Order: sequence, then C-alpha cells, then structure tokens
Amino acid sequence: MADVTDGEFTDFVNERGDKLLRVAYALAGSQHAAEDLLQNALAKAYARWPRIRGDAEPYVKRILYHDQVSGWRRLSRRREVPMAELPERPGVCDSSHDSELRLLLREALRALPPRQRAVLTLRYLEDLSVAETATILGCRAGTVASQTAKALARLRQLVPGLDEMTTRAEVTQ
Amino acid sequence: MSRMLDETLRAAVRDLADGVRPTPDLAVKALGRGRRLRRRRRATAAGATLVAVVAVALPFVLFRPAPAPSPATPPVTVTPSPTMLPTPGPDWTAKPLVLPGGWIVTRAQARGGSGAGMLLDRARGHYFRTDRYDGIFPAPTGSLVAVRDLDRPREIGLFDLANGKTNWYEVGRALSVPQWSPDGRRLLFTTRQVDRFGFIVMKTDGTKKVHVNGTEGCSDFCEFTWTRDGRQVALPQTGESHGESQRDARLGVRLFSADDGRRTRLVPVPGDPAGPWSWSPDGTRVVVQGQQEPLLVETATGRVLNPLPSADVAWVTDDRLLYRRPLGSNDFVLADPTGRELIRQPLPRQLVDFEVTVAPR
Repeated sequence: MADVTDGEFTDFVNERGDKLLRVAYALAGSQHAAEDLLQNALAKAYARWPRIRGDAEPYVKRILYHDQVSGWRRLSRRREVPMAELPERPGVCDSSHDSELRLLLREALRALPPRQRAVLTLRYLEDLSVAETATILGCRAGTVASQTAKALARLRQLVPGLDEMTTRAEVTQ
Repeated sequence: MSRMLDETLRAAVRDLADGVRPTPDLAVKALGRGRRLRRRRRATAAGATLVAVVAVALPFVLFRPAPAPSPATPPVTVTPSPTMLPTPGPDWTAKPLVLPGGWIVTRAQARGGSGAGMLLDRARGHYFRTDRYDGIFPAPTGSLVAVRDLDRPREIGLFDLANGKTNWYEVGRALSVPQWSPDGRRLLFTTRQVDRFGFIVMKTDGTKKVHVNGTEGCSDFCEFTWTRDGRQVALPQTGESHGESQRDARLGVRLFSADDGRRTRLVPVPGDPAGPWSWSPDGTRVVVQGQQEPLLVETATGRVLNPLPSADVAWVTDDRLLYRRPLGSNDFVLADPTGRELIRQPLPRQLVDFEVTVAPR
C-alpha cells in the first residue's frame, strides 16, 4: 500500500512539481521560500494522500495559498520584502526603459504583502475570476477588488513610470 | 483598471513566476519529508508496543546498584551543574509525565501539527496516541482538546476526552492555530482574513466574539496571545524600520480586552511573549522573543534584565522558569530567572523531535 502511495505521489510531483513551484515562487517571491512553501504543502498532501479524492493539484494549491496567506505556518510566515528606496523614475521614454520598467515592476511585486501578491497570483498567473479568487482565499469578492486596488496603488508608488508605460502602449496601439 | 494595465500586470506576474529555477529532486525531497511524518508515527506506535516488553526489565535498569568508584577516581568536587533526572522509561505513557516544577506534558506532536500525536487523558491518567486530526491542542485544564482538520479550515473542533465526542464550530477564515486561555474556558485565534486582521475569542460552547481592528501597528510576527490573567490579549507593536534579515524592532505589546476588544494599554517590552505563561505570576516580568534573542524584561519599564536560552517558557513560580533547551536533545530544564539551570529532565526518546505542550498539573 505504501509503495502504491509513494509511486502515485512521486508521479504526481514529477508531473506537476514545476507548475506548482512556479505558483509557489509567485507567492513567496524567492527560490528558497518557494521551495519551502511547496515542500511543506506536498508533505501535508502526502500525509493525507489516501484521503485525497480526484486531482491532487487543486488540493496542493489550496494548501499553498492557505499557508501563504493565513499564517497557519506560524514560524515560516513570509512577509513583504521592503525596498530601501523608490526606484528611480526614467527620464526618457524608449523601449529600453520599458524593459527597465518591467524589471522594476517584477521587483515591486516582490515587495507587496503576501495577501496582495496572492490575489495578483490567482488573478494573473492562474487567470481566475474575482469570484474564484475570493473562494480560494476565503474572502468576499469585494475584498479581492480592494486588495487588487491596494496592490496597484503600491505598485504605482514603487514604479512611478507604470501608468506612463501603459498609457503610452494604449495610445500607440 | 485599463486593459493595458491589466495586461502589464499579467506579464509582470508571469515574469516573476518565470524567475523560478527548477528543482530536479523535488519529488525525492517531498517524498522524504512526507516519509519523515510516517516514521514519527511508526516510532510512536513502536514505543507503545515496547511498553509491555520492556516493563519487565525496567526495574533492574532503574534500581541497579551504582558502580563502586574506582580507587583512581579523583575526589568529587561540587559544581554548579544541574541535577540530571533519568530519562523516563518505556512505560512513560502509563502516567502523567511530570516535569521539574510540577508541570506535566499534555500533548506531543510533530511540529506543524501533521501526523500522529500523543495526548494526556487527565481523568484516566495516561497518554494515548491519535492521528485523527491535523492539530491537537489540549486545554490547560479539564478534558477538552481543540482539534483542527485541514479539510475544515474555517472550523475548530472541541474533542472531549471524557466522552470521546467532537463538536465542530465555525470560527472564521484565515485562522491562526488556537490558543487556550489559562483557565481553559476560551480559545483565541488571530484572523488574517484578507483586509480583516484581528482576533476572535471563542467560548467552549461555540459562542464567539470577533474583533477586527487592522494590524494595529504590527508589521511582522503579528500574533495575538493571552496574558496570564486571561482577561487581555497582546499584540506586538513595531516601529518604523523594517528588514528581512531580522525581526522588526518592537515598541512594546498592545493589550486589548478579551471581552470587548478595546485597547487597554501599551506594555513597553522589546519583544513578543509566546503565550500566557510567558508572564510571571506576579506580573512584574515577562519573557519575550527580542529582535535578536530571548529576553527577560521588566513589564513596567521594558528594562532588559538578562537574555535567556528560550523564549517559549513557563513561569511555574515567581522565581522558576520551565523551558526546553534549544540545543541537543531538547531536555526540559527548571531554571532561575537568570537562566541558571537547576534541574534537567530528558524526554522519552519518542518525544525528542516532537513539539511538546505543558500545563500546570
């Protein structure tokens, strides 16, 4: 029985591990924290493997989001990564600055609080609707919207060229 | 939000996720961690089986005469080393495991709450093994055990050892692990529901009060804990500076009424108490996890009296602390407030790697 479980579990991790690690990385913001988050979720799933019915991936993802947001994992909580200074605003608009802004935006995402990053990960990496995001995070749809708005405000603060970049892209389309 | 901004965010989040490096041995590591949970279960089960076998031999081990000192042995000199108590024998589950200072072990479980655990049945006076739940949290008195199940993340179960029944209660979303009040009548949860940070106090009949007050000046390790009188809860307060390499500096802990959630006062201690037993019975001192190390501090002034090896301590009297040594085999020690060890008690082998809960006898 244990061999069957081990085999199924190993096959599952080999097949879905990279995908899950990508989600964990978007949630945790660093390689080490992502691996820790995912290892913990997988170990919990393994302990309950015979009781998981159907596809295990949603189950593992639920643990990932739950652990990251709720703080059940008291000792391993992640929090926002502070940026010492606001990134410099680019003075000239060209494509190299767009790339720079993309880089800055990526770094700014790391600086968001875990809950806001979780909302953005569900909405933009997993392409879930507001309602689906609210279901997974255990909150109201309005809360997802307000967290998204707060995340956006924080990103605008950290990346002053954000609106300029998106506005320019819309004009030139 | 404009469509382009939406797309820019989508690209950025995916950029971020694309930064991950593959972990080739993910399956092996995950399986290893999962197997460790199983090994702990087997070890616990094996310990229970060994009780009957080894009990016959135990008296000979415990009461064998001490070997005669060798003539070459140098004279014994008095040293300040603590009194070392024997490791409990294999039949330790048959009666409450009493620690120095008179407190007892009420629960042992793998850290994080996964896998099998050992629970003390106070009324019957022995321990039993359980793997029915993902977390077990016995009340410091009485027969109730708070239990949690990952399949019921919004609920808490109250398992009554007296009749074996478990009642489940809806508490809320995004909950911390439950903490019992010192009198065992109420449970405290920190709730980190998105945009609704606060605490929930639930009585053992399932009635609850939710106090959502925002993070209230706390930026990391924001966990509500009981004070020793069980009438207030404490939340760490942080200053302006934040860093990833260490805890944010503390301004103190903010106390709130457990009954109505109102703020009462700020205690200017430079760290976080682990729970109600961190406060001395007379209320003059508290052990906190400081920014760098565990500290014993005066509650009135916040003055640091001395560092300690552990922040997870229980004041058993006004001049004795009980805690687990952070290194080695994690023995329990009874120490004075300066951290001088007086009595040291090893744990049964099966419990060494477990998280252990203690309570007054």
